[in-house]
Amino acid sequence: MRAFGGRRAVDGVDLELAPGRRLSVVGPNGAGKSTLLRILATLLRPDAGTLELAGHDCDHHAQRARPSLGYLGHDPLVYLDLTAWQNLELFGDLFGVDDLRNRIPDALSRVGLLPRAHDPVRTFSRGMAQRMGIARLTLHDPVLLVLDEPYTGLDAQGARLLDGLLEGFASGGRGAVMVTHELGRAVDLADEVLVMRAGRAVDRCDTAGMDAAAFAARYQELTA
Amino acid sequence: MSASPLRQMRALLVKDLRLELRTRETAVAMGLFALVGMMIFQFAIGTRTDDATPFAGGIIWATLALTAVLGVGRTWVPEREQRVLDALLTAPVPRLVLMLARSVALVLYLLTVQVVVVPMAIVFFVRDAAFSDLGLVAVVCVLADVAIAVVGALLASMSVFSRARELLLPVLLLPSIIPVVIAAAGATHAVLGPGNALDEYWRYCVFLGVYAVVFGLVAFATFDHVLDD
Repeated sequence: MRAFGGRRAVDGVDLELAPGRRLSVVGPNGAGKSTLLRILATLLRPDAGTLELAGHDCDHHAQRARPSLGYLGHDPLVYLDLTAWQNLELFGDLFGVDDLRNRIPDALSRVGLLPRAHDPVRTFSRGMAQRMGIARLTLHDPVLLVLDEPYTGLDAQGARLLDGLLEGFASGGRGAVMVTHELGRAVDLADEVLVMRAGRAVDRCDTAGMDAAAFAARYQELTA
Repeated sequence: MSASPLRQMRALLVKDLRLELRTRETAVAMGLFALVGMMIFQFAIGTRTDDATPFAGGIIWATLALTAVLGVGRTWVPEREQRVLDALLTAPVPRLVLMLARSVALVLYLLTVQVVVVPMAIVFFVRDAAFSDLGLVAVVCVLADVAIAVVGALLASMSVFSRARELLLPVLLLPSIIPVVIAAAGATHAVLGPGNALDEYWRYCVFLGVYAVVFGLVAFATFDHVLDD
């Protein structure tokens, strides 16, 4: 549970994600999705309840869980006045990534930004900056991706890149939790969907064999 | 993967310096502010007295304290404006390392400003200053800067999530560094004032050192919780 000024933003959410599983979190505005995600990213502490990530108790040892996490929000979370290379060098050092001289070009070429490696991120378009965020996200090889509306600002090419990343991630035995408003993407890219309303989890379903249109109808019913 | 605190601190410091070299938003603004402050004192006091030497220490440190508030106020600004704070806080960086890197960057900004401003202030306000006095004043600058930077980084981090941080930070910082200003002004006066009072100078220096150590320990004990929710 997590409250802000007496209002419970997340209340009674019980969640377990097995390795290799991807979970989409959907719900109307103010449902508590982003708060839930910030708790999972160790940016907020729950007022009640516990969080365990990759075997680490985050109440007391959040620091130990953080190397396993990759967090991306609506924004790329990189310094606009540093170059792409300098940003990755910084986050590589913070996460203790070895062999940065080779890892950085790899990460940049995966997102199509290698030719712009030495340009400040401020000179990038919104979509390119978000792709830069994806490069930062994957540089340290996290076990769990925590994504808050990561498709914001991405063009078709960038969106395809993120789709591929999520698919590759799950097949590598790693997990992802993603908040999105796009119901089709929530069904197509995840193994499970969690529906939230007013801070509570009102439904959790498997997406195997699920039709996106049928889910949209169910979602309307649950969140009406 | 090996994320040693030393490697993390070096990376954060290099980042701060790269940002400053690219944007020139902190040290340059601090330098200009300090120069304008000195000029105001020169018109207000320097032109109205034959010998402003007795006031020099106070003038220098009043100006530098206000300049420091400007510099501390810029702490965490790129992170807030460019929304990078979440990325830093989800990285496995001990909060103490974040604070130490911030403190070292602040010390470097303050020293950069002082390299220009202190000799200028001595020319403006001190009669018959000896070249060797500059070395003793430099020691005061380093000690006072460390003390201001430790307190400043701690308070800036405490107010980073506050909505009224621009208001809150000077209100918290200025009273906290009054002892530093008094001691630094006293030590500077002991060197530059009439009759070198070296005993007094060293007493003030020891006070500045003790202040920096005490606040360093406070920061060490609390900082891990300051930036955590």
